Amino acid sequence: MLETVQTTSHDDDILANAMKPANFQKAVNNWVPHDIALKDAWFPLAHSFAVEAKPVRRSVYSQPFYLWRENGVAVASEFHPNDSERSSKSIYSDASGRYPVLERYGYVWGWYGNPANADPVHLPSIPYLPEEGNLPQHMLGTVRFDCCAPLSLENLIDLTHADFLHADVVGDEKMDKEVVEVFHDSETITMVRSCTNKSVAPIMKRFGGVKDDVQQVRQVIRIYLRSHAAIAYGRFSPGDNVQLFHPCVPETRDRTRLDYTMNTSNVKKSNPFRYLMPKASYKVSRQDSYMTSPQSPRYMNPEKRKDLHSPLDEAGQKYRVLMQALAERQAHGDFSYRDNVSADCSDIIGYDGK
Amino acid sequence: MAETNTNPQTLWWAVARSEEVTNAKPINVDLGDQPVVLWRDADGVARALEDRCPHRRAPLSLGCVLGNGMIQCGYHGWTYEGETGHLKDIPNLKSTQKFPPLYRAKSYAVAESGGFVRISENPAATQPAVIAAALPLSGTEQVSLTHSEFLNALYDDPALVIAIRGVRFTPYLATELIEANGRLVMERNCQWAGPRWPAPFIPEFPASLLISTEPETGESKLIVRDADFKELLRVILAPVPGSRGVTQVRWRAKLASHRPGIMAKVMGTGAPFEILSAVDGAALRVLRPSVSVHAEALRQGIIDRRTASSQAA
Repeated sequence: MLETVQTTSHDDDILANAMKPANFQKAVNNWVPHDIALKDAWFPLAHSFAVEAKPVRRSVYSQPFYLWRENGVAVASEFHPNDSERSSKSIYSDASGRYPVLERYGYVWGWYGNPANADPVHLPSIPYLPEEGNLPQHMLGTVRFDCCAPLSLENLIDLTHADFLHADVVGDEKMDKEVVEVFHDSETITMVRSCTNKSVAPIMKRFGGVKDDVQQVRQVIRIYLRSHAAIAYGRFSPGDNVQLFHPCVPETRDRTRLDYTMNTSNVKKSNPFRYLMPKASYKVSRQDSYMTSPQSPRYMNPEKRKDLHSPLDEAGQKYRVLMQALAERQAHGDFSYRDNVSADCSDIIGYDGK
Repeated sequence: MAETNTNPQTLWWAVARSEEVTNAKPINVDLGDQPVVLWRDADGVARALEDRCPHRRAPLSLGCVLGNGMIQCGYHGWTYEGETGHLKDIPNLKSTQKFPPLYRAKSYAVAESGGFVRISENPAATQPAVIAAALPLSGTEQVSLTHSEFLNALYDDPALVIAIRGVRFTPYLATELIEANGRLVMERNCQWAGPRWPAPFIPEFPASLLISTEPETGESKLIVRDADFKELLRVILAPVPGSRGVTQVRWRAKLASHRPGIMAKVMGTGAPFEILSAVDGAALRVLRPSVSVHAEALRQGIIDRRTASSQAA
């Protein structure tokens, strides 16, 4: 079971203090995401199908992760098996240079942090992905962002950006009403956006068989802070639900890898939306990069000028504060999980199994 | 940016040619390391803001110009008015609320004349002198030289940074770099292009290139004249310091309609003037500083006298 460092009362208070209004605003404006590197987390390093006998290379904060299979079982090492001039190993792997690794939801997950603390109980819950994986490859894909992972996730959790950047895919800002709710614990943040009579997503209108001009939308973004992984679950009426797993692996502090899964097995096999929606990520990710790529260098150093915010930015602001609270706690030597990330979150995201 | 000046905030920099600024799509330019977005509002007035949305620091130049002439960030739709930079709308808020004065992007003063859009960091800067007519030919190049290196190359060997159709620059000066009416002025003898006696053996040169530079911005007037003192080509050249040591050079030119002599007429075949975007590094490295040796002292002298004069006033 998890071995944790004894925490102090100071550490217990970090999140509570961070949420106090004065401290909250200070943290929001001290946001330098490139300086945050959280440890003791499972990262979805590769789709399971991508890991075979021949090693593939991944990174977490520039720390090498070589993945391959031995007798069908995925392994992760910081050394390539052909590396005959191994340098001294890091503190993140065992004596033989192997990392803790497990396989679930169609991913090979590697543990970045103290190997002794690795525990499957810290694996994020993803209700709409089968635990054994095995989804068809047309529902999977890889895209990259030229920006740091937290900015990519901050981008995701503020879905008002989609109305402008991705209007030609998911619809514009025209709607009658928009309500945004935000929930959090020490390890996750969840944003629920409910839109009334929103203009129909063009991809649903063109390929998904939706004939109406407006639809009712409930979008949920749930971020597992340490793993930099997000659930993006959308319910559309009329229209099919969208079930996206959106991990943002920080391969380096300023480059992000996204091995996504868009589970469209809920969509009729005769509906082109089932096959096209997963591919929309290639377009949407380029649209995101159009903004996050130039945005990222502007967050590399502390900035005297404060960002301006609107009431719509609550989720992004809380994400900033929660990440900094976790980083501060880890800086104090506390790597424990205060909340259970592997508990089924179906109720939280409103997933009913359909 | 120029290393020294009286007050950099009061300077006017020609950051675009008029035709580059439209209401169809905002453009990005640099003023030193400062990115600036330019566009035209609904009245056709050129506007300039820092190219950075104060919301999430995305470049405003990646957004769009709305029908009402305001600029909208392409990331979350924050919309700014051009003259003051005030935030006017966050579309998703679905309200008509007014935003506090703090909610604004940094704005620049803009002046447009003579086919150039000039900006000043000081919104209260005195408007620059109006140039009546825009010279018809124009262009923009990004040169991988710093602002001062570009000007020094122009003084020491123009052939490294500019080309004038049918004209060959010689090392022989008619006038060394001097101060005249608060500007840095020099004149270089020129030959016509093609097979000619080498310049050292030429008793009389058929043409000359006059360069007159505003000492603080480096904006220069170039005039090619023939031996009869007839103006053949006039160029206004505006170098503006950009990011990573790049200098953005905009220019406008007019070729005289009547140019006596065959070689002067050759100037009208093809492009009469161009800025060379690629600098010959090998030639530049061994270029002996000559004219430019005194340029900085002259420049600083003019600036010091301006400063003393403005303080006395």
